[in-house]
Amino acid sequence: MAEFHLETTVNGKSIVKNIDPSMRLLDFLRNVLHLTGTKEGCGEGECGACSVILDGELVDSCLVMAPQAHGKEVITIEGLAESGEIAPYQQAFMEVGAVQCGYCTPGMILAARVLLNNNPKPSKKEITRAISGNMCRCTGYTKIIQGVQTAASLKEAKDQQNVDIEFENLAEMDASRHAAKEGVTRE
Amino acid sequence: MLRKKVLPVNDYTTVGKSVMRIDGLQKTTGETKYAGDIALPGALCLKVLRSKIAHGLVKNIEICEAMKVPGVVQIFTHADVPGINGYGIIVKDQPMLTDKVRFKGDAVALIAAEDEVSAEKAMALIKVTYEELPPLYDVLDAMKEDAPAIHEKGNILGIYKIKKGDAESALQCADVVIARKYTTQRIEHLYIETEAGVAYMDNDMLVIKAGTQNPHYDRRDVARVLGLPLNKVRIMQTPTGGGFGGKLDISVQCFLGLAALKLGRPVRMVYDRETSFIASGKRHPFYIDFTTAADKQGKLVAVKVRIIGDTGAYGSYGPATLNRGAVHATGPYEVPNVDIESYCVYTNNPFSGAMRGFGTPQMAFATESQMDLVANAVGISPVDIRRRNILKEGSLTATQQQLNSSIGIGKTIEAAWEKALQVMPGLGDENK
Ligand code: FES
Ligand code: FES
Repeated sequence: MAEFHLETTVNGKSIVKNIDPSMRLLDFLRNVLHLTGTKEGCGEGECGACSVILDGELVDSCLVMAPQAHGKEVITIEGLAESGEIAPYQQAFMEVGAVQCGYCTPGMILAARVLLNNNPKPSKKEITRAISGNMCRCTGYTKIIQGVQTAASLKEAKDQQNVDIEFENLAEMDASRHAAKEGVTRE
Repeated sequence: MLRKKVLPVNDYTTVGKSVMRIDGLQKTTGETKYAGDIALPGALCLKVLRSKIAHGLVKNIEICEAMKVPGVVQIFTHADVPGINGYGIIVKDQPMLTDKVRFKGDAVALIAAEDEVSAEKAMALIKVTYEELPPLYDVLDAMKEDAPAIHEKGNILGIYKIKKGDAESALQCADVVIARKYTTQRIEHLYIETEAGVAYMDNDMLVIKAGTQNPHYDRRDVARVLGLPLNKVRIMQTPTGGGFGGKLDISVQCFLGLAALKLGRPVRMVYDRETSFIASGKRHPFYIDFTTAADKQGKLVAVKVRIIGDTGAYGSYGPATLNRGAVHATGPYEVPNVDIESYCVYTNNPFSGAMRGFGTPQMAFATESQMDLVANAVGISPVDIRRRNILKEGSLTATQQQLNSSIGIGKTIEAAWEKALQVMPGLGDENK
């Protein structure tokens, strides 16, 4: 069978592999790259357990063929953790009890991230809509919605903190410039 | 003298506080390894050929063509089961690989192959010859005297009776008698993780890791079916992606065990969603015949209930489900005279087992519907009829258990009613 020469970026790493062109993105991630955080629940686009981010958009990786990721950027749950960006989501989901069996959790968190990237202060209705493609059989969704809300405020606080740090740096730079002018060296 | 230090409530480290899941972090990072995520180098892929007919005898299984498929390592049938070919939580009535089919989906052959594609190719080439028997999909038909027997001992697996006082005469002289029939449907658990597992031999020890709710029971059944002593079987529960009672039953465990034991190679098996639907247990459909009697004030005087539960092809937790159905038929209400009988009955439907509540959700639907009808007939509100009959401290249940503590239902009703009035003002007027 003809092979497909796949060049893609997964969680920031560039990947080059020759693959069976009929392979699903889900199987490529799980079986070829051993990124098993992405789950299979239904295999037909119903449950969202296999959700990944493809060029900024949430997709069901069971419905996307691996070659479709050619030249694109894939982010899986593992990538979220590595980039150090996951903390607010992790923290929020754990704190409010949005994680039970945990099987839907990777997909849910990725859905939350795509939402919050585009809409940092979503309403409850917007959250419900954003996670409507992801099924959870354990929680009843109340906690997951709370989790996304909490993640939103944690993320806001964190972004705020980053901004504050930047300001502090600026202030520091100003101060040292000032000090230099006056001929005083700072410790 | 040593004394135990008694901490005041707010000093407890966990009681009364929200606690984070111990495995929460791994679950949010995708690190958690569920059964289907475990990589066993060189593991064979297992697939099960399942029957397309609902009832029949397996006359012949032809595997020669299938064995020629490159990548196929072995195909097992009922003839290869080394131990006693029957498992089940309460009754050992379900064969691992069967020579008598009792529902569409019964396991007939197990294929072990190097990869999924060859296993599937082989599956299509196995030829099974059946002698078909008339299928029984209706539980009432299955109970008839002349119905074909699905299991040797007949189609009624168990009868559970609760009798107290004299229900018959109480029904005769009650002011209000309401008789209705109720049916409830079959429900699939639909845990998000499908059934999966891996197995391997650790010297002479069979190790099975699987998504299960019942590792100890699994161990007993696997040992029985494979003819192994208990201490040669080890079952490890992997993080389980939902169960809701459905993963109490054996799913992949015996298949994994047989192949690992006979082939001496690591094996792996993951159900797709379709297989999970076909092969797993369901919530029992109930057929309920409910008669409730009350006096003019709406105080219950008697109930007479007949329950039939469709346990499908196999018993699983059926006997317990029907038993609980009977025990909870009176709901959270005190009834002085009861006459309850429940029947656990085999059909050629998918098997039914445990699911969240064990027979009580089905009964609650009927019991509460009856309460509303009685309230209506007596001319009081649905809340009042419950207030008048609710179990309190000192109440006797249908089985004569005296309740002496922890009876919160009265408070719950009042709290719910208060809330209802808040969110639906005016409700109180209608029900005065
Ligand atoms: S596995 Fe892809 S949506 Fe369910
Ligand atoms: S936590 Fe179990 S499916 Fe969502």
